[in-house]
Amino acid sequence: MKTQPIYLEDKLREINESGRLAYRSRSMPTWCPGCGYFSIVDGLPGALNDAGIAPKDTVVVSGIGCSSRFPFFVNTYGFHTLHGRVLPVATGIKTANDALTVIAVGGDGDGFAIGGGHVPHAARRNVDITYLLFDNGIYGLTKGQTSPTSAVGFRTSTSPYENFDQPLNPLMMVLTYGATWVGQAYAGRPQQLETLIRQAIAHRGFSYLHILSPCVTFDKTDKTYQRLGNHVVDIPREHDTGDLGAAIALAAKTDMPALGLLYRTVRPTLSDALDAIAEKAGYKGAGTRRRAAA
Amino acid sequence: MRTDVQISICGSAGEGTIAAGDILRNALAAAGYRIISFDAYPAEIRGFGKCVARLRATTEQVYSLKEKSDVLVCLNDEHGIPHVGDVRDFGAVIYEAKSITRLTEGAHVSAHVRPGQVPYPLALRELSERATGALRSRNLVALGYLAGLYSLAPEPFLRIIEKKFKGKGAVAEANRKAFEAGRVVGTQTFKLDMVAFGPPTAGLQSVMLSGNAAVVDGCLDAGIDNFFGYPITPATTIMERLATEMPKRGKRLVQTEDEISAIAATVGAGYTGARAATATSGPGLALMSEMLGLGVMAEVPSVVFVSQRGGPSTGIPTKTEQSDLNMALYGSPGDAPRIVIAPTNVEGCYRCAGKAFEMAERYQTPVVVLLDLYLSNRYETVVMPAKPPFEPNCDKPLPKQDLGNGYRRFALTSDGVSPRALPGTAGGMHVVTGLEHNEFGRVNEQPENHEAMSKKRHEKLLAALQHPDFTHYKRFGDEGRVEIGLLAWGSTFGECLAAMFRARTEGMRCAAMKVVMLQPFPAAAVAEFIDQCDVVLVPELNYQGQFASLVQAQTGRLVHRYDRVCGGPMVVDEILAEMLRRVAAGRQKAA
Repeated sequence: MKTQPIYLEDKLREINESGRLAYRSRSMPTWCPGCGYFSIVDGLPGALNDAGIAPKDTVVVSGIGCSSRFPFFVNTYGFHTLHGRVLPVATGIKTANDALTVIAVGGDGDGFAIGGGHVPHAARRNVDITYLLFDNGIYGLTKGQTSPTSAVGFRTSTSPYENFDQPLNPLMMVLTYGATWVGQAYAGRPQQLETLIRQAIAHRGFSYLHILSPCVTFDKTDKTYQRLGNHVVDIPREHDTGDLGAAIALAAKTDMPALGLLYRTVRPTLSDALDAIAEKAGYKGAGTRRRAAA
Repeated sequence: MRTDVQISICGSAGEGTIAAGDILRNALAAAGYRIISFDAYPAEIRGFGKCVARLRATTEQVYSLKEKSDVLVCLNDEHGIPHVGDVRDFGAVIYEAKSITRLTEGAHVSAHVRPGQVPYPLALRELSERATGALRSRNLVALGYLAGLYSLAPEPFLRIIEKKFKGKGAVAEANRKAFEAGRVVGTQTFKLDMVAFGPPTAGLQSVMLSGNAAVVDGCLDAGIDNFFGYPITPATTIMERLATEMPKRGKRLVQTEDEISAIAATVGAGYTGARAATATSGPGLALMSEMLGLGVMAEVPSVVFVSQRGGPSTGIPTKTEQSDLNMALYGSPGDAPRIVIAPTNVEGCYRCAGKAFEMAERYQTPVVVLLDLYLSNRYETVVMPAKPPFEPNCDKPLPKQDLGNGYRRFALTSDGVSPRALPGTAGGMHVVTGLEHNEFGRVNEQPENHEAMSKKRHEKLLAALQHPDFTHYKRFGDEGRVEIGLLAWGSTFGECLAAMFRARTEGMRCAAMKVVMLQPFPAAAVAEFIDQCDVVLVPELNYQGQFASLVQAQTGRLVHRYDRVCGGPMVVDEILAEMLRRVAAGRQKAA
């Protein structure tokens, strides 16, 4: 088989003409070489570009952790908040200004350890934001400690003998919390990841995308490219994305993570509900935004 | 003739004590009297706890309740008896007329009325039953009796009764009948006490507001866009009233899962340019402290109303205290300066609430408005301004040429405030972060940058000391050199002012200063005041003398602490006694 040669110049022109560079900031990501997060920082600009959402109308909100440095690497509005508080801040932003596309990003520790109390409420309120959860099963920024999605028996600096806590299953949790769009992606499959990010943003309501992503520095045994690459499977074509029970059953199979859209439903968003309440209270005007930016 | 009458109504929860107090204060306000009123009721939702409704109706501006009431209405013997002693000489005690033979000794109010107090036994039960066929209208019978006895016009009462029970059909009619029944008896009673209502102030257009209700009006008049809150006594009524009022104006309120989420969403909304607030008490403020620090670091406006209650920990949720000052001033990681203001009366609640939004926006910072249970729950008549005295937009203008690739969100400017690009602004994209950052918002840990940015965050707030149309502090009483000066903050100032005026009538040269702006602190003005006093006394409702410590640290001058943690407001007599003690000690030393 004859392969076409790839020329650097062609590749650069292609990237330039794609428009996605407008979404990338001048700061180079601070992640370790080989980190799974690089495919996410590449996937989000692609998804926003395809969806035609301008950088000025996008706010990327994050918590604290390796993944939460994300806003610095994209050229949108960004709010790097506190450990675990990404969802309430994002809720405030969206509630105050519906015209903004709000993307919440954070890691497994940020979202399901310290911030675990906020996830059910953002989901049940159906805040119209997209939550990209980078799951590497470890605390990377503090140099390798056990996280709520670390496997039993996993050894880190804070569990030097072994981790004895059962890992959480975030997908099952958000499905039962009432999230209206739930999907799973893998950093090792960037094309599919970008497509899923685009679908998650397009969804009106709380969309949750769980992204499995290897930590190449602190995890040499569990969520590695090799192990994840061997185990991930695509969601079967016959899966009914409107069937919550089937979605939960898929989410339960953690030994063979299923990639794709697990569940989708339509329900009024928080802003819809607040507008309906205003109408009930007798408000006749349109929109509840204070003022548009210049 | 000037009027100054204080009426207490005592009864069990469920006897309509608080409701009677509410009708009475509203009726008297509608008649044109000025009112200050503070009720006490048990924490239990249902039960047989004691309720005391208390109000003072006057024709002149007053600042506190009196220790002695002029009139006591006992709907219930057991709860009324301990309060008979609180009635002044030649004041009135109104109680259920009962046959004494059927009661154990001392179980009837009449056995406790002292010589000099004037007893008015009244057939409350009988009148209520005859008027409405039920015993539960005793409270309205008592109100009617008061109106009759003191020749108060019945119309305001009937209007308020009508309004209060609107839509409840027969209830309004029954209450009106009960009121009339009591009034007839009142007019036929020979008045022996020395309590009298003079003519009210003509044309006084006031509204009756609690401190928390005034906060809500301030928020609405300042154009609040978003509110996020979590219920906690005694701040909850702020959220409850906003939940009714904000949607009518197309504004959004969300009850969050906890206080952390409430302040986080408030900061998120503030980041987009909205006027956003939350309200809580001490335990909630503790949870909010980390996010307040982010608000300081990211320079995002937010307003936090904190109604203090007894602490520490869960403390005494239904009692008043001023012990969250230190947490409001300092409670965040690192050097996290924010603006802290504390109104001293209900009108001040309105003004501080509205001004807090101006300041938050102007200086791009969290603003904490400190209230306490006594201020949140007490009622006063307030003369509202004709139009809201608040600026709708205080954002520093952002020149177009500043936008683009080199936009500096945290530009070092002469006043320390950097014009902000709100999300949605073309060419204004930037990241705000809780990490130390440079002018562009990029992470920067260099020592000279950290020093410059720390200076910016602190010094930009100093302009708040000159914030327009705001009373930062105010001196009352004698001018110039005085024997003793009272320095106070928050609700306690009302009692201090009353004590100071009493002390002047007793021949003391004295003055009182209230400090509303607690951070940044008006150190020069307070130091000048201290220097003009032989002795300075700082009464406050906490054990640690938190405000006194602040004053000493900020002015470098010593003051005398007077700390009480009694769960109730300061007692004017006790402040006065302390003043006399201090002045006497000073005079002795001088002699």
